[in-house]
Amino acid sequence: MNPDIIDGFTQASQLETILAVAAGCFIGLVVGMIPGLTISTGIIIVLPLTFVLEPEISIALLLGLYVSGMTGGSFSAILLNIPGTPSASATAIDGNPMAKNGEAGRALGIAITASFLGGLFSFLCLYFIAPLLAEIALKFQSPDLFSLVFFGLTIICSFAAKSLVKGLLSAVIGLAIVTVGQDPMMGTARFTFDQVNLISGIHFLTALIGLFAVPQLVDNFADMMKSETATKNAANIKSVLPKLADLKLMRLPVAIGAPIGSFLGILPGAGGPIAAFISYDYTKKLSKNPKEFGNGSPQGIAAPESANNAVTGGALIPMMTLGIPGDPVTAILIGALLIHGLAPGPLLFVENGEFAYGLIFSFFWANIFNIVIALIGLRYLVKVLVIPRTFLMPTIAILCVIGSYALRNNFFDVYVMFGFGLLGLAMRWLDMPIVPLLLAMVLGRQLEEHLRVSLIASKNDVTVFFTHPFSLFFLCLAAASIFWSFWAEHKSKQKQDQLEI
Amino acid sequence: MSNMRRRNLIAAIILLLLCAGYAYLTANLPTRAIENTTQPSFFPWVVTVIMAVLSLGLLAQAFLPTISSDTPKTFDVPAKRLIYGLVLSVAYFVSLPTLGFVAGNIPFFAGLMYLYGERRPPWIAAGSILISLIVFFLFREVFQILLPSGILQGVLR
Repeated sequence: MNPDIIDGFTQASQLETILAVAAGCFIGLVVGMIPGLTISTGIIIVLPLTFVLEPEISIALLLGLYVSGMTGGSFSAILLNIPGTPSASATAIDGNPMAKNGEAGRALGIAITASFLGGLFSFLCLYFIAPLLAEIALKFQSPDLFSLVFFGLTIICSFAAKSLVKGLLSAVIGLAIVTVGQDPMMGTARFTFDQVNLISGIHFLTALIGLFAVPQLVDNFADMMKSETATKNAANIKSVLPKLADLKLMRLPVAIGAPIGSFLGILPGAGGPIAAFISYDYTKKLSKNPKEFGNGSPQGIAAPESANNAVTGGALIPMMTLGIPGDPVTAILIGALLIHGLAPGPLLFVENGEFAYGLIFSFFWANIFNIVIALIGLRYLVKVLVIPRTFLMPTIAILCVIGSYALRNNFFDVYVMFGFGLLGLAMRWLDMPIVPLLLAMVLGRQLEEHLRVSLIASKNDVTVFFTHPFSLFFLCLAAASIFWSFWAEHKSKQKQDQLEI
Repeated sequence: MSNMRRRNLIAAIILLLLCAGYAYLTANLPTRAIENTTQPSFFPWVVTVIMAVLSLGLLAQAFLPTISSDTPKTFDVPAKRLIYGLVLSVAYFVSLPTLGFVAGNIPFFAGLMYLYGERRPPWIAAGSILISLIVFFLFREVFQILLPSGILQGVLR
């Protein structure tokens, strides 16, 4: 057996790491269930606190938050009919009717168990697929890596945007932002305007805090918490443990949701909401009682919950092996790894094998603690739903400001964060997605570096990208992704026009 | 012209202007006299070209009859509240280096509580003072992140 596997398991099973995972799961459940707080925001708030921790402990905490955030989202979806996270939207369709019928505990138990099973399946995918993919990725050369990153960007744009042009524009703005600072090849200062603070570029995390947190704080000016409904439905929670009959009912939705979630998690940009709705749809089609769906079907809860939790392990596969984030959360995790001096990618398994396997096993523990904490502490956890937003939102605001400052002990980063917040608001006004910008900021420097190294090595011969088989393969995929997006956009407009006529 | 098309038009014009500014700055980047290598301005030029093409695409979309005229769901926030929030934030960010994190956070927190709908003065006072102090000491004592105390430097030792 690979000694890194044993070392990784030992590392992930140390008391400090386990405690960090448990703390992450607790915070994740709380963050996930509060409508208006996404998992990304939760991680952004917690991230500055992890700077002082060891990398393995820091990542373990964030993984716990990621996994449990997905499950926590279902609590408010079931109790309030307000999904705590976008991934829990499909859960509300059947979860809330069950809660209204006095079966809130049963619905939550099913959601927690399905989340656990989906997460466990994606752990197995991560454990078996990630090392293999990393081994293949080790053979990639600069042109292949450039094309891979390029493909990652195009697929994210096509998934994340209603309009491909706006998605691509968002990504290009991100690429323009990463050109600020020292050029990665020669160290020449670019677009720094003689500002010392800009020489090392705009920090990814400050941009992230502004882009995600500020629009969310503004959103919450409008939304008021339905605390009365929460209290009423929470009072109905009697037994959370699912019965044998429910476990039998969950076989089909979990068998559909877990593989769909894991697969879509691997695809950059697809994410939890898409996986949840696809698995809900397939389960409904294959179920013996499709008419029950929408009126409180246990299968209608298990399918999306297993899928959205399976996405977590799937999204970690491209993040760890290729350095390409599958969703905003894994993009933040890449940022966290970079802060600790670890670069995700194929070399992670070679140079830091123990850490890589430690991360995989921390993910396993995160799923275990997720179900344990959720089942035991559910009755107390749901009380979080009644915390007044008037306290919660200002607290998040000051945590974001302090988080931006703590990054480099610099007020400049606080102003940059606010600037990105305004940019986020402007992008929302224009219906322009934020995720491509964020991912372009993560991948931009790699993209430039691989492009320039390839061109230098080939003496400025651009055909190098078409003569390397892997590179050609990724470029074809990128072209197909762009073509498909344009075609889908065109078709949807045609449909809309027909409807209008 | 529909609301969304008008927004696309405004965005396209702003992006084209930004693109022109970015191109000007790129053209003025220093060059390096090393053979067979790409210049520091190489990637920014690639970005400029793509941005210009896409901005023109967006401009064309603003005039195309097939474009969806749906106005996206943006914010259901009253404009007044949004403006007060922005003014409060700007005042906070400007005064933060002088006031420090405790003296700066208390009025900012109180202002936000009011904007989020809290109208009971004792709750606002208690919430803003307590939470600002708790967060400050949490970061300073537990996470060892030194936050500037500003005008309260003598008090918060």
